[in-house]
Amino acid sequence: MTTIISLMKQVPLPSQMRMGEDGLMDRTKAKSIINIDCSFALEAGLQLKSILGEAKLIVCSMGPPSFEQSLKKAISMGYDEAYLLSDRKLGGSDTFATGLAISTMIKHLGFGKGLNEDFIIVAGRQTSDGDTAHVPSQVAANLGIPQATFIEDVQFQDNHVIARRIIEGGYQILKLPKPCTLSLTPTGIPPRRPSLVGAVKANQAKINVLSVADINLSDEKIGLSGSPTIVAKVINIKSERAPVIFSKGHDSETLVENLIKDMKTGKNTLERVEKKVSKAKVAPEDYKKVDFRDGASGILTWAELANGKITRPSLELLTPAKNLATSLEEGTKVRTLLIGHNVKDLANELIYHGSDEVIIVDDERLEEYRILPFSSIFAEVIQKYNPEIALFAATTAGRELAPRTAVLTQSGVTADCTGLEIGEHIDRKNKKVFYPILESRRPTYGESKLATILGFHCPQISTARAGTFEVPKRDESLKGKITTFKPKFKDDDFITEIVKTVRGDGGLANLFEADVIVSGGRGTINDEMQLVKDLAQALKDQGINAEYASSRPMVDIGISEYARQVGQTGKTVRPKVYVAIGISGAIQHLAGMKESETIVAINTHPQESIFANSDFGIIGDYNDIVPELIRQVKEGFTFGIQKGN
Amino acid sequence: MKSENSLLTDVLIIGAGPSGLSTAISLADKVNKNGEKKRIVVLDKGQEVGSHILSGTLVKEQALKELLSKEEFENLPIETDVISDHTVRLTPEGFSTLPFHPPYMDNTGNKIISLSKVCKYLADVAIQKGVEIYAGFAVSNLIYENGKVVGAKCIDTGVNKKGEKQKNFQGGSKVFAKLIILAEGSRGSLAKKVKNKFALRAKSNPQSYSIGIKEIWTAKEGNIKEGEVYHTFGYPLEGEEFGGGFIYGLGDNRVELGFAIGLDYKDPTLDPHALMQIWKQHPFVKNILEGGTLTQYGAKTIPEGGWNSISKLYIDNLLIVGDSAGFVAMPALKGVHFSVTSGMCAARCAYEAFKADDFGEATLSNYKKLIDNSRIKKELYPVRNFRAVMSEGLFVGGFKFGIQLITNGFCLLTPHMKRDSLYTQKLSNFKNKPFKERFAGKLEFDKKLTFDKDSSVFYSGTHHDEEQPTHLVVKNIEEFSRININEYGMPCQYFCPAAVYEEHIDKESNHSLKIHAENCVHCKTCDIKTPNDAITWNTPYGGDGPQYQNM
Repeated sequence: MTTIISLMKQVPLPSQMRMGEDGLMDRTKAKSIINIDCSFALEAGLQLKSILGEAKLIVCSMGPPSFEQSLKKAISMGYDEAYLLSDRKLGGSDTFATGLAISTMIKHLGFGKGLNEDFIIVAGRQTSDGDTAHVPSQVAANLGIPQATFIEDVQFQDNHVIARRIIEGGYQILKLPKPCTLSLTPTGIPPRRPSLVGAVKANQAKINVLSVADINLSDEKIGLSGSPTIVAKVINIKSERAPVIFSKGHDSETLVENLIKDMKTGKNTLERVEKKVSKAKVAPEDYKKVDFRDGASGILTWAELANGKITRPSLELLTPAKNLATSLEEGTKVRTLLIGHNVKDLANELIYHGSDEVIIVDDERLEEYRILPFSSIFAEVIQKYNPEIALFAATTAGRELAPRTAVLTQSGVTADCTGLEIGEHIDRKNKKVFYPILESRRPTYGESKLATILGFHCPQISTARAGTFEVPKRDESLKGKITTFKPKFKDDDFITEIVKTVRGDGGLANLFEADVIVSGGRGTINDEMQLVKDLAQALKDQGINAEYASSRPMVDIGISEYARQVGQTGKTVRPKVYVAIGISGAIQHLAGMKESETIVAINTHPQESIFANSDFGIIGDYNDIVPELIRQVKEGFTFGIQKGN
Repeated sequence: MKSENSLLTDVLIIGAGPSGLSTAISLADKVNKNGEKKRIVVLDKGQEVGSHILSGTLVKEQALKELLSKEEFENLPIETDVISDHTVRLTPEGFSTLPFHPPYMDNTGNKIISLSKVCKYLADVAIQKGVEIYAGFAVSNLIYENGKVVGAKCIDTGVNKKGEKQKNFQGGSKVFAKLIILAEGSRGSLAKKVKNKFALRAKSNPQSYSIGIKEIWTAKEGNIKEGEVYHTFGYPLEGEEFGGGFIYGLGDNRVELGFAIGLDYKDPTLDPHALMQIWKQHPFVKNILEGGTLTQYGAKTIPEGGWNSISKLYIDNLLIVGDSAGFVAMPALKGVHFSVTSGMCAARCAYEAFKADDFGEATLSNYKKLIDNSRIKKELYPVRNFRAVMSEGLFVGGFKFGIQLITNGFCLLTPHMKRDSLYTQKLSNFKNKPFKERFAGKLEFDKKLTFDKDSSVFYSGTHHDEEQPTHLVVKNIEEFSRININEYGMPCQYFCPAAVYEEHIDKESNHSLKIHAENCVHCKTCDIKTPNDAITWNTPYGGDGPQYQNM
């Protein structure tokens, strides 16, 4: 009988999250829920059972005793057994140590000793209080089993798991053998409500609580000592918006012209009354200088391919890579690993964008990205070149490849960074100064904080958020080296089959990636949002990554689809430009778009709260203003966004 | 019939409010005292015990003292003692404090509590005594065998808007019980069905209700003292309608305030939520709130018909307690102590039924005797005609009530009460100034002191799974359009405090009803006040609805 192991984390309600003085999460005060992604994984486990007809359902978690309530909820949904790894010693564990602890617990339960076992692990894609998406990959790597992340649908055929994986602009169908690990996105089948009979069972159920000693894990491998990374600093991100600039004029033509002018001039900025950051701390003279790199040198990046082209985020990576190399010793190299089939021609592109050396791995089986061989190749290349830093774009592939690779090289990983710099770390307790060290900055806790993460093991691995860094200027005069690398494959590296890859126009997945989102509200009811769609299309025709969306009323009426709903009960987006048309700005809607870089609002009523949350505003009628905007877009106005590639 | 997805219990209590929990605690005490074992299961549709509890509570402690042991009573979470209690008459511009308390309204010696906090506490007490409490489970209907209630069924979940089973379908569990106690609170959906099915109202007045809107604020330091209590009457009502406001100072600069209005008002466009916002703009209220922040919002109805509106409360295998029964003393604005008392009466009746092993109507009629000998009748009977005369407006009503006080409730012309929905007048018949004209200039909300409905709803924390059949059922769409929209101007869009009902006007100027069920705060005003009784409030999935904290 197949055993389905669901990994589950309990998280504080996002609205109630706060952090302790030490920069670690204080979970004691907030009301807790099962992490949303994990609840989808719980449901996926139940669905798998109903497909298989018979299966044993186990739910595992790691955390304080208060997690028992969520484990009980899993039982009330239909799970058979619950295990909680709970130990004070686990406090401060980063994702690396967490992945190790959870996989050790799974081994303790009798799984993961070989490749012929009959079990499937389902986990949430990521947690709302960590947002790293690392742990499922790290668990799979520690157990040495195949994995598929960002899964939204799971089927079972011919003794194989058929998983539908979300990728940028499309999806992929993967066929995995047992055992394997799947991480689920919150877009599949929503978690079922517990039944009362299930709740009664859960009320009587015993949660098996395990300590670190119970699973034979040594203390130095967990907690702060077992974590290759630490949170060095956390600062609040202020998200208040400066007062809106209303476009002047009395007719639509002037209003739109002035909007274009205003956007060129730039938005109002808030006068920050923040305290000056206290002077950079200087380490006392007698502190010992530590260079933990131990000979490691250079920066390794990954060139991800899609449709035979290097993806934009991979080119963007070269910007921080070069900057870091400049901050380090002279002669520090930026190397890029290019894996694929017949990809030689692309190597020069990487060099023209700043790579010093391109390492090519060419194999016909590697035409499409696949996690197992790619992570083994990375581990081998890292072993050979011994880089001090490795960077991946935080794409669906990068966010699983980095952590899986990191387990193989025993490194820490920092996810989804928006800042990468070289700095130093002063360890006052041990009177040491670590220099040079990679400072990886990432927004966290619902984009409300900016955390600086440090890793003390080379390579220091980070993934960088797409769209954060500029693509370096292409310069054909740049020279670099092209090397071919022959990895040693294992047969098991190709055990997962790619059944199908679909990369289309992408449709709805684009809402998260669009540079410009044109969103329609109640004020656009007359023509059923036609002008909103036309404006988005006009921008697309200009080569802009644009998409249309809507507020809830439009979905309720049936004019727009739920997948396009922005707001508290819909999606949270943060495009470069959000154009809110006929949207009043209910709090529920603002919650889903207030992090957008620039917000432009068009509404007939100046007192609508959308204007209090916008940078630019036009007071005017939808039916007059939008056609004029479309006309301007056709003549080249793109809200200040550059055409994508 | 009894399948895998069902369970058996001795007693099933539906609703973990003060009455349901008091029933559970009191019964468990009796059972435990005698070393017996009875399974007592309490279900609540709120995500947690207390999530759906809202009350502006100045509690009379005596009933809780009787329910709980000394130690349990001493640990009750009390917000604060009432240190001063003022009744304030508001005029459009000013106010005056009455030099005396209207009868039944003196709160000296009472405590301010958060009823949802107290319910959480009572739930813990009950669990200690062996009671099983499951929150997040909504009962959609009762199960009958041979015409008698034998159990209850939880709502099926994982059903889409059209009622089709989805992949995450979960059939609602059935609970079979020897005795079922309905403790659903005001306008309980099951109690309503039972009262209709068994014609329990044959000898009583219809129930009449108020809607109360409540907010919790964090006020500016020093604006109100802990334990300060104000009740206001007058503005924005002018004697036409029955209602008023309350403001209680809690610790840490928190202040809770609310406004209630009798649902027997006539204006089809009257908006209770807007009334609360208008009331807050009055200098007396504004001075307390200005500079503070709104932290919570909610609304519920209050059954206030009093003694004459209490229906028969027992049938074979079933009792009705608390607000579902209508145990509220209107002149004193109090019902929590009655909820506790009715729960204790029900527990005693239940315990005796277990001893006799007979749950028939005859045995359960003992419940009525116990109520008649309790403080409930003692306090409610003398004021039995209070609410009825008040529907004639505050001034005439106040005079008549004065006579009743002298004559132990006697009323010269026993007033006739009708259902609240019948008081609403058609647009063409309503001759007074419509609401919007009456309060012109006061209906722009600044989102600092006053809030539009959509914003207010945000502060209730309400949430509903979008994938479920709407829990608000319109009897007949065509009839709704003809009567409610055309003749009455769709009153539900005004009286609903949570922007659930929208009058949608399309390109061809056709008017139709749009329901935003996900906004619902479970106050049930629509079930009570909609002309032609056109809307029925059913329970949505368990765990859905408002997330009140300390309301």
